[in-house]
Order: sequence, then structure tokens, then C-alpha cells
Amino acid sequence: MTTAPSAGLRPARVIVNTLTVGLVLVWLFPIYWIFLTSLKTPKEINKKTPTLLFEPTLENYRHLFDEFHFARILKNSTIIVGLTTAIVMVLALLAAYALARMNVPGGKHIALWMLSLRFMPPIAVVIPFFITWQKLHLTDTHLGLVLIYVAFNLPFAIWMLRGFLVEVPRDLDEAATLDGLGHLAIIRKIILPVIAPGAAVTAIFTFVFAWNEYLMALVLTSHEATTVPVTVSKFIQAYSILWGDVGASAVIELAPMLVVVFLLQRHIMRGITLGAVK
Amino acid sequence: MTVVLTDITKAYGTQHVAVKDLDLDIKDGEFFTLLGPSGCGKTTTLRMIAGLEQVTNGTIAIHGRDVTHVPARLRDVAMVFQSYALYPHMTVHENLALNLKVKGLPKAEVEQRVQQVATMLRIDQVLKRKPGQLSGGQRQRVALGRAIVRRPNVFLMDEPLSNLDLKLREETRTELKKLHEDLRITTVYVTHDQSEALVLSDRIGVMNDGRLLQVGGPHEVYSRPADVFVARFIGSPSINLLEARLHRDGDGLWVDVSVPGGAGLRHRLPDATARALSNGHAHDALTLGIRPEDFLIRRSSAPGRLAASVDFIQPMGAISYAILRLPGGDAVIRERDHLIAATDPDDPIERGTQVWLEPRSDRICLFDQQTGRAVG
Repeated sequence: MTTAPSAGLRPARVIVNTLTVGLVLVWLFPIYWIFLTSLKTPKEINKKTPTLLFEPTLENYRHLFDEFHFARILKNSTIIVGLTTAIVMVLALLAAYALARMNVPGGKHIALWMLSLRFMPPIAVVIPFFITWQKLHLTDTHLGLVLIYVAFNLPFAIWMLRGFLVEVPRDLDEAATLDGLGHLAIIRKIILPVIAPGAAVTAIFTFVFAWNEYLMALVLTSHEATTVPVTVSKFIQAYSILWGDVGASAVIELAPMLVVVFLLQRHIMRGITLGAVK
Repeated sequence: MTVVLTDITKAYGTQHVAVKDLDLDIKDGEFFTLLGPSGCGKTTTLRMIAGLEQVTNGTIAIHGRDVTHVPARLRDVAMVFQSYALYPHMTVHENLALNLKVKGLPKAEVEQRVQQVATMLRIDQVLKRKPGQLSGGQRQRVALGRAIVRRPNVFLMDEPLSNLDLKLREETRTELKKLHEDLRITTVYVTHDQSEALVLSDRIGVMNDGRLLQVGGPHEVYSRPADVFVARFIGSPSINLLEARLHRDGDGLWVDVSVPGGAGLRHRLPDATARALSNGHAHDALTLGIRPEDFLIRRSSAPGRLAASVDFIQPMGAISYAILRLPGGDAVIRERDHLIAATDPDDPIERGTQVWLEPRSDRICLFDQQTGRAVG
């Protein structure tokens, strides 16, 4: 008779599950459609009635890599985003630790002030950045974009990590201090492993922001350091739109994020709920 | 290793002073307990010894070396936290071995020491587990083990038993005592549980409001409290306190508790007390303290015995406590509205029975009503 209560809940659960599946399908459909487009020939793409059954081709991918040197662009994005994420994480962790643990005068206000930097619309600063970067010979370089992405992501990452850090009992730091560890060793050996889920979420946010960033990359790069989102926009040309290349590049752009999120989804869930339940 | 605190003060800002002018001399190998209510400054004192709090004024020396400004990690003191503070992502083995690895000890020695301590504390079966997979008692032992494995100068323990249930707490208390007997490492223990302090300690320092009120052996602080606060804080049920007056009569000095309309208490002070009081004490108004087990219940009246009626009986197993009211009014009783006296459960007393109380002759405490300090 233990199944009785769940049997009572079943209709409600069916409705919720149906709605959930429906919602997921609505969200997934554009991705599915882009994936299909990337495998179609231009003729198939431009058919008046869209088809679901067709002979798939990798022609668009070949075109992308041969004609648009997409391998180099992908490498640019990977270097810039990888460096940005690594630098942001190291600096943010150190800053968050200082703010959370070291009795910095007005630490709370500093954290909020840093976050407020994120309120600034990038369009407002893109031209001054362009002029400055040109004078510093940083336009169209990996370093130029990395510096900007670090500056844009750091406040949010500090604020987020600080939130995870204040949830870690101070006793742990103190026990580690008495065990003979210095601040850096405490961060590396104690704090980081304990807030790993939170750190993973912060890293994903940084990664996603930098990977998708369009405006700064468009203005500050032209050829050498251009990134994936900027390149995708170039397929919309004066007289035609290269839908096949748009589809293929969009699939490639999505892939790393899907992989990262899929691999870290357990941590993401824990990171989002970290500190919610003692 | 000795621990000497000289004139220690800890202030937060200009308003809050957590510890005031504290002097303390903890002997080598001693089990010393700082006892007091929440917020009395005992944990702050412990944290200052550890180096986790900076002193505002004064000096701290460990084994003759001034460590006042030495960082915590270089003081070689081990602390057991109330929360245990085990590293949640490390196994028990890693928790125990961390300090030894930081010190750069050879792998074989680390292994040997960890095994030895784990066996001693009966946690050798759980070395591969993480703290989250352990019971409360096991976590507590790992926390202890983490301190022991280091063979430190000093053990510092901040209410390490308070998260255990009563039975486990009593068991661990005994183990802790035995462990100290075996290792004889200087231990500073903080608790608000007076029974824990009495059982474990070689000496106890009772604190209140940032001040150290008395330092002495368990028997001394119990039977000869230096302050009315100490008298009240130590002992369960707590001491009976009565408003009394000194009275000189012929050959001796007497202490009187007058109850309006009833038979008051009149007790002749022992000669030594009388002499001390005649020499030093100016006020006649005193607080008289009598422990429940030192208040004898008599079935018949006699001059000097305090008349009372039995309100009810609290049986505690080996002993019972009679809750007593004074027919003439409870105004002379301080801190509460009744008296408590121990009775023999084999000689039961009915509720409402009229009885007479007298103190065991030399087992009374006298305190100055103004300062609260012991006199005589």
C-alpha cells in the first residue's frame, strides 16, 4: 500500500512532466534546426518548404575551414577565452579571499562597488578603448582582447566567489593556519577544493561571456585575433546570407559550451545551491 | 611547556573589551580549564594563545619564548575546534597527515605517526573515509587525532565535547582525561560546563565579564570560591545564597540570617574564620553561601536552626534534593526564591513537612555584599 500516495500524485506529475518536456523541446528546436541547416546543401536550405529528411553533407564545414580559415579563428577564440578564464579565476579567487577573510576596511562595499562596474554598458566604453588600444598597439591582438575580457569579467567573478567563500566556515582556515599553512596554501589546498562547485560555476560564466562576446571583438579585432562570433556575423553578406556556413559555425561555437556544461552539470547544480542548505 | 599570559587585554574598537588585565601561569603538562558563561572572554583568551587573535595589550609566552607577535602557524600549538573544523574534502588520513607533510617529515614517519594515533583513538578503520561519512563521535576523535599526531607544544581545546550527546560526551571526557594522563602535554581547555571542568582539570580558571576571578584546583574552586559569581557558577544544583549579618557575642563571632516571623539561622563561625574576619572585614552585611549537600535537614527545632517547609522533592537517583521555602518570607534568599538541600532518598520527606536547616559546621562561604569577593 506504500504506492498509494504516489499514485495520487500521478496526474499532477504527468502534467508537470509534459510541460517540462514541451518547454525543453521549444528551447532545443532552434539548436536542432541550426544543426540540420549545417548539414544541408544551399539548394536544400533555400527550399520553400523546409525538409526534415534529406541527404546530409559536410560540405558547409569543409567550406568554413577552407574558405574562411575557421581553424585559425577557432584557435583565436580558444586562446583568448582560455587565458581570460584562467586569469580571471586566479585573480578573482585571491581578491575574493581577501575581501571575505582579511578584514579589508569596507570589504562588503568594495564587493558591491566592483559588481556595479558590471552595470556599465560596453557600448559606452568601446570607442575610448579602441583609441587607447590603438595607441598601445593592442588592437587585433590576443592580449588586447584578453585584457578587456579580464577587466569585464573580474568584478562579477570576485563578487560570485566571495559569496561562495563567506559560506565556508572560518574555522577551516584557522585550523589550516594552525596546521602551518600560509594564505596561498590555504586557498589552494583548503578553500578551492571546498568551493570547487562554486568555482566551476564562476569559471563557466566567465567562459560563456568571453566565448560569446561580440561587440568588443568586432571593434578591436580585424584579422589576426578575430573570434568566432565576429566571424559568424560575416556570413551575412551584402547580397546573400551563407546559411550553411552560419549553421556550421554556430554548431561549432555551441559545441564547447554544451560539452563544458554537460561535464560540469553536477557541479553547476551544487554551485547554484551552495550555501542554501547547511 | 608552560604558557604564561601577562597583563593581557583584548579590546574590539573602543567600546567592547573582551578580556581585561588577565594574568595566568599555566604549568608544564597541566590540564588547565578556562570556565565561564558565554561571552566571558574564555574563547578569546584561547584564540590569543593560538595566535588567531592579536592581543591589544600584554604578552604571551610559550615555554619561556615570547610569542605575542609570532604568527599562529609558527607557534606550534594544536587546537581542537568546537566545530571540529575537519577538512571536508580530505580523507581522515589526509586530515591527520596535513601538518606533518607541511613540516616536511619523511613519508614513512608520517605514515607511522598517523597509524599510531589512529589506533590509539580507534579510527584506524575509517582512515580512507571523508569527514562527512563519519559519526559525530568519530569526527570528534579525528579532530583530537589531528592535534595529537603533531606532538605540539600545547593543546588548545575550544568546547570540543559540546556537539556530542550526553552519553558520548561522558565517555569522551574519560578518554580525554586518560589521554592527558598518558601524554602529559600542556592543555588549555575552554568550556562553560562546570562538571566537565571539575572532572578533567588539574586547575580551573573561572572567568566572567572578561576577568579571571579565581584560579585553583577543582576542589578549591568548588569548596572555597573566591567570588560569589564563582560560587554560583560552579556546582549543580547551585549554591544557596542568603543575606546575613555578622554578630559578635561573648566569646565568638556569629553569622545571623534573620527571617521575619520565623526561626532564623544563627551559626558560630570557626575560630580561624572569626579571626580573619575580625582582622580584615569592616562590613557586617554579608552574603552567606551554603552548598545543597552542606545544608543539613533536621526534623526538630533547636536554637540557631532555620525553619523551612518542603515545597517538593527532586529525586536524582543516588541523591534527592529538597526544594524548601521559608515561612517567614523568601526575601533573604538571593538569586532565587527557594533553598535547596540534599536529602537521602532512603529517608524520604513528605511535601509540606516542616523542617529545620543548619549548615555543616565549617562548610560555609561568606562574601562581601558590595564587592562579591569572599571574606574570612
